[in-house]
Amino acid sequence: METWKEFEANELTHSAAHHLIAIYEVGLEYGGWARVSDIARQLDITRGSVSINLRALKKRGWVDTDEHHMVKLSPKGQKAVQAVMAKKAVVKTFLSNVLNVPEAQAEIDSCKVEHLISQPTGEQLVHFMRFLVSEDPLAKQVLARFKNFHDQCPDSKTCEVCHGHCLIEELQHAGL
Amino acid sequence: MNIDRTEVVEDLNRLMAEELEAFLRYFQMHYRLRGVERLAADKLFEEGTRETLEHAEMIAKQIRALGHIPEIKIDLELKGGPTNLQDALAEMLEVERQALDAYKEVLPRVTGDTMLEDFIRKQISVETEHVQEIATLLE
Repeated sequence: METWKEFEANELTHSAAHHLIAIYEVGLEYGGWARVSDIARQLDITRGSVSINLRALKKRGWVDTDEHHMVKLSPKGQKAVQAVMAKKAVVKTFLSNVLNVPEAQAEIDSCKVEHLISQPTGEQLVHFMRFLVSEDPLAKQVLARFKNFHDQCPDSKTCEVCHGHCLIEELQHAGL
Repeated sequence: MNIDRTEVVEDLNRLMAEELEAFLRYFQMHYRLRGVERLAADKLFEEGTRETLEHAEMIAKQIRALGHIPEIKIDLELKGGPTNLQDALAEMLEVERQALDAYKEVLPRVTGDTMLEDFIRKQISVETEHVQEIATLLE
């Protein structure tokens, strides 16, 4: 499959991930069970939408419902939520602690990719973070030196990272 | 009993969003239906779109009567391929059930205000009838 199409093929969509997380968060106070109305308020969408979306989540085996239309994460749903939350946590920590992205932006960006990055990538990111915070003097040095690193593009606008197209310029130009 | 008008207006805006969203769902669903059943479903979905829009308008009038302007907040993208009547009705039933529950949830908060209470009770009665009708069709 072409790489860009993997975004569409992702089993857990952004919407599904947020529904599952909302069920988890609402359910914390009620032994895991959540009402459609509470999920709707948590996500700031209509009950109708929640209800329709839950049908898809149920079909995929991520949630269970009871005869009173209460909703609970299935064991598969719980695993999905844990994975998404773990990926979000590590991405956010990486963005704010290593790249020095402001907290609010790190929250938004980690939320955007939390369900998209693969498990191996998530794991590697955790390993990399653990290396950075380890007692290894080189790790501390890398962090400290990056914090004080004042990047200056060469006049040629070509470097080992950009290969002929200045990525910084392109990012700044797009302004997205 | 004094009611919290701000809270009630928020409730009414939410109810209006439910109705408008249901309208959009039925509108799109109507054109997703395929097969001979589509002819039989035409009237049902036409009624569905007309009634949900009417309900939204009635709610908007209640909001205006309370001295506010209706606020519409809908986050919706409707996709999906061709569908059959059974699945369409199952979705319609789900939407109607949620609308009914939403009206029921608001009722205690307007109890004591004759006009609003009367309005919500009537809506509960209408929505209950819809749910029963659709459930019967699915039996």
